[in-house]
Amino acid sequence: MEATRLVIILIMGALAFAARALPQIFFLGRTFPPAWDRFLRYLSYAFICSIVSTTLFMSGGRFESDAVPHRAVALIATIVVARRTKSAVTGMIIGAALVSLLSWIY
Amino acid sequence: MILAPRFRQGMKAAIPIWIAFVPSSIAWGIAAQAHGLRFDEIVLMSAWVYSGPAQFAVLEPLATGKSSLQVLIAGTLMNLRFVPMSAALAPYFAGVRRLKLLLSCHFVSASSFIVPYIQFQKERESGSKTDEKKPREGEHNVYFFLGVGVTSFFIWVVGSGVGYGVALGVPRRFDEALKFILPGYFAGLLVIEMRGWTMRLICLASLLVAVPAATLSPEWGWITVAALIAVVGWGMEQWKQLAS
Repeated sequence: MEATRLVIILIMGALAFAARALPQIFFLGRTFPPAWDRFLRYLSYAFICSIVSTTLFMSGGRFESDAVPHRAVALIATIVVARRTKSAVTGMIIGAALVSLLSWIY
Repeated sequence: MILAPRFRQGMKAAIPIWIAFVPSSIAWGIAAQAHGLRFDEIVLMSAWVYSGPAQFAVLEPLATGKSSLQVLIAGTLMNLRFVPMSAALAPYFAGVRRLKLLLSCHFVSASSFIVPYIQFQKERESGSKTDEKKPREGEHNVYFFLGVGVTSFFIWVVGSGVGYGVALGVPRRFDEALKFILPGYFAGLLVIEMRGWTMRLICLASLLVAVPAATLSPEWGWITVAALIAVVGWGMEQWKQLAS
């Protein structure tokens, strides 16, 4: 293994570990006031939605405009099915089947 | 201990993550091999850094021999997103021994954050309705988290190694379904737990604005905008409560 690359990988991993571990050390088991608790929840949900959006509609930092219509339809179907059936897996299966079908048709 | 029911419950919840990790980890292995990384470097990076976006982000600067500092900055910028994720999980791990916690937090990734976080929220809400206090709740939560995190990690590392030697020949229509699995699962989890108009508006705004923001700044755009939307939504709710 090339020494420079090995050092880079080791430092990069150590920095990633610090980003994961430090909040655990500082906030472990803390009960936040209700307002802060709600803020953390909103922040997490906003992150999750952003991850959903960027994972679904972007690839390699580029907006995949061609795929937007059928992926958006599949996402809406997933949301409706998951909400009605109270099952995220059912929603995901319906959405994945629909996106396959739509990409095959168009 | 590893077969604790709570760990198994986490494993079960992680199945959609495994399915999504298989093609993406293999794709990373293939890309890394194509950029000149060796098998041991690929596996080491997957196991020690364990961050898909950061691993993809540093491939090009690593391959083209850019300065170490530049590679590290690119990787670290991508990994800073673990800070709020880890902070949001921390309150649920009360009472867990520090060493166990430090070892566990290596498995924090976007996917292994979302599934346990939503599960803990659901359990805390149902617990507060019945006034039920679970003994050693932090331990229970950590085992659920490990059930999701360790197994997903294992799939990621093995997949990266497999990708080194295997070309991915999945037809495009299956490719689409595989790409959809993870965001579809997260959206499903989220929509079941969503309550109140503030949360709905925050989610909708984040969903709509993330892509333009990420187009402007791939590393920071979506995370900055998500944080801003959460601050604005929360601020408006606080203001409304004070006014009423």
